[in-house]
Amino acid sequence: MTVRRSELLFLLPVAAFVGLFALLPAAALFASSLAASGGVAGIRAVAENPLDRLAIENSFVQGGLSAALAVAIGYPTGVALGRYSWPGRRLVRSLLLLPFLLPSLVVVLGLEDLFAVGGLVRGVVPSLGIFGSGLPGIVGANLLFNVPIVALFTATGCAGASRDLEESVATLGGSPARAYRDVWARPTWVGAAAGGLLTFLFSALSFAPPLLLCGTRCATIEVRIYALDKGTALAPNAAGVLALVMVLLFLPATAAYLFLLGRLRARPGARASPPRPLPWRRPVGVGLAAVTAGVVVAEAALLLAVLYRSVRPTGGGSWGGAWGSLFSAATSARLGLSLPAAIGNTLLFAVGASAVTLLLGVTAGHAVARRPGRAGWVGLALFVPLLLSPVVLAFALAGFWRPILGGEANVWALILVSQGILALPFAVQSLAIPLAGLPPATAESAQTLGAGPFLAYLDVDLPRVRDGVVTAGLFALALGLGEFTATYFLVTPRFTTVPVALYNLSCCSRSFALTDALAGLLLLCCLATFVAIEFGGRRVEL
Amino acid sequence: MLHGISFDLQDGELVSLLGPNGSGKTTLLRCLAGLERPTAGSVRLDGVDVTAVPTHRRGIGLMSQEPALFPNRTVLENVAYAPLLRRSSDREVREEVARFVSLLRLEGFEDRRPETLSGGERQRVALARTLAARPAVVLLDEPFASIDVELRAELRAEFRRVLRELGTAALHVTHDREEGLFLGDRVGLLFDGRLLALGSPSAVFAEPPTAAAARLLGYTVVRDGERERAVHPADVRLVPVGPGARAATVVATGTTGRESLAVLALDDGSRLELRARDGAPLPDPGTQVAVAWDRSLLLPDGRPLPSGDRPAPKEPKRTESLGPP
Repeated sequence: MTVRRSELLFLLPVAAFVGLFALLPAAALFASSLAASGGVAGIRAVAENPLDRLAIENSFVQGGLSAALAVAIGYPTGVALGRYSWPGRRLVRSLLLLPFLLPSLVVVLGLEDLFAVGGLVRGVVPSLGIFGSGLPGIVGANLLFNVPIVALFTATGCAGASRDLEESVATLGGSPARAYRDVWARPTWVGAAAGGLLTFLFSALSFAPPLLLCGTRCATIEVRIYALDKGTALAPNAAGVLALVMVLLFLPATAAYLFLLGRLRARPGARASPPRPLPWRRPVGVGLAAVTAGVVVAEAALLLAVLYRSVRPTGGGSWGGAWGSLFSAATSARLGLSLPAAIGNTLLFAVGASAVTLLLGVTAGHAVARRPGRAGWVGLALFVPLLLSPVVLAFALAGFWRPILGGEANVWALILVSQGILALPFAVQSLAIPLAGLPPATAESAQTLGAGPFLAYLDVDLPRVRDGVVTAGLFALALGLGEFTATYFLVTPRFTTVPVALYNLSCCSRSFALTDALAGLLLLCCLATFVAIEFGGRRVEL
Repeated sequence: MLHGISFDLQDGELVSLLGPNGSGKTTLLRCLAGLERPTAGSVRLDGVDVTAVPTHRRGIGLMSQEPALFPNRTVLENVAYAPLLRRSSDREVREEVARFVSLLRLEGFEDRRPETLSGGERQRVALARTLAARPAVVLLDEPFASIDVELRAELRAEFRRVLRELGTAALHVTHDREEGLFLGDRVGLLFDGRLLALGSPSAVFAEPPTAAAARLLGYTVVRDGERERAVHPADVRLVPVGPGARAATVVATGTTGRESLAVLALDDGSRLELRARDGAPLPDPGTQVAVAWDRSLLLPDGRPLPSGDRPAPKEPKRTESLGPP
């Protein structure tokens, strides 16, 4: 195929966006912090600081435990989803994506609604109360987010296994166990490993669960960086050095994840193995069904608990009474602005960020359409900012751009940009994967009929991935609606969003009724976006 | 890779290039359409060098083996694509579309989507869409390969009729000898990126330049001393053992429904087909027989043609070429 180098120009906008708003600020942060801390001496100081060491240890312990359990539970669920067909499979596959879209705060509050003192499950099975706080609670929250990720990645691996090859093994005398070993074990474990590594990264770098469920003794590196920069310590240089150490410590895991992700992506043109009926009568079928059912029940319990508590708060009160209080003057005084204003801010940032993400994705899409190799490295490059983590990203953005921007743009522009950066990899993946898989003949036909290359892309390629375009936009919107960590770092009371308001109510004012009601509101918004994504059979690709 | 291919295409002429898989047929068409850039040589349209002109401005239509219809558009919208790009008026677009819908007998299909059409119907829509773009030349890349055998003859005849009626020049590539010989006003043989012959179908069929070309045209190549001969199955018959006869062993026999067929192995290892005439019985496999042929062609001595050389074309030059500048 003729190489059109002009198409590479369409990668410039997304490269510039990531470069200017992630890589450059981060590099500046690390450089200035290192210089101010005496270079290597600053890094040595991190290693010698007991609080920093504790944060690093907590990150690895929480990340490692969460990843191992997520793989143990997510792998069989993924096999059930990806390899077998059964009633409700498509719906379950969609529902499993929901926790990924939920704000982390809502998941934590849901966990507390189930297992903390006064929790719905704890009241029935008191021993399960250990999941209401501490390390079990943190790991539980991480699992609720991340088991679906492992399951979906494993399911993708299943789809990449050749059914023809399996059948050949059978006709050659190989048992099902042999077929598993020789044909489909490897792609599924590549998926599970990729999911496990992503779980490790998300969990090790989490912010809200350790903060709310355990406090400073369970602080991860993210929490520690925040405390150093914003807390009483007020040691921004130390925070910057710790951020650099964090990037270096997690670089191998990120590289491994990106490598496996590249392996996992279905080859363009390769036909996915069609699912076969679940063997209900065999132990393996029963086992897979049981684990999957357990995951679905856990997710459903979380969501229902949040919704229930939003209308029937812990400690009693009238049904739905707190909803009315959400919009009262007293609540506005607590939050520093009215809830409708917070909702407006949330929507503004989320819509703005998703618009930017979508525009960048569509532009970059021209460079990756029908070129799977290019789609591969573009997708991988976009994941690099994730390594920075939301706190470090916000920290770097503030340090670099605030002196330049000035005024209120310091806040709203940086919040919008941070949400865009964080949503960009996942939203663009929803677009790049189907674009890279398009056969070239149709767009080439358009060119032979008189359409220029970019017109052929807009007119012929993009409509064929319409679902990907809509999904990318809605996915970015959902992530923006629930984004908390980076926003909390950057926000001022005037620009408070609903997730930040939720955190302020839950940690600082201890108003359980209001917290539960607001969590319910946020959950309903995310559910609505999820339904919009799923309406018409669209699917998000992770 | 393509090597020194140079030929011309006249107005209204249909040239078929016959070649095995991997001979460069699709590459050649993609170069002509501007989807690939040749490293040397030029493409000229009415004397104008269009080698550097991008595909969408070149005015050369291309139909692929798989009809690349726009899946989210109806038949009408597919055919109207190029007229709309030209910003023709609504009336002109309607007239243009109606003309090609009628020409390709697509009435009643206008509101249907490609996935609801059969292979043959999709190819007719693809041709209508290509012609509605008013190309100077239409390139046909094995357009009937994915069509059911019983429909191919009908579709070939229809394509030929339409192209003749419009007077559009066309270059057609295929590995199907029957298709190539039937459709082309002239036929060329493409092997390993080289154009070995170009002439009328009967002339090319009567004088295959190489053993490989002979096989492609349906001949069997047998050794005759130091040289090779091309023998057509229709000319082979069983004879009594004697002077002029070649010894052979019957390897397999069968029927194609209408005639009986035997595969024979000659003493030099080559395989030959024998078709039973007038219902005559064929010997069983393993039987030693003697065969002779009414006619055969003595092939050239087999040395490769010097680079850049090609058989001299018999028709005068004009329209399109891909050759040294």
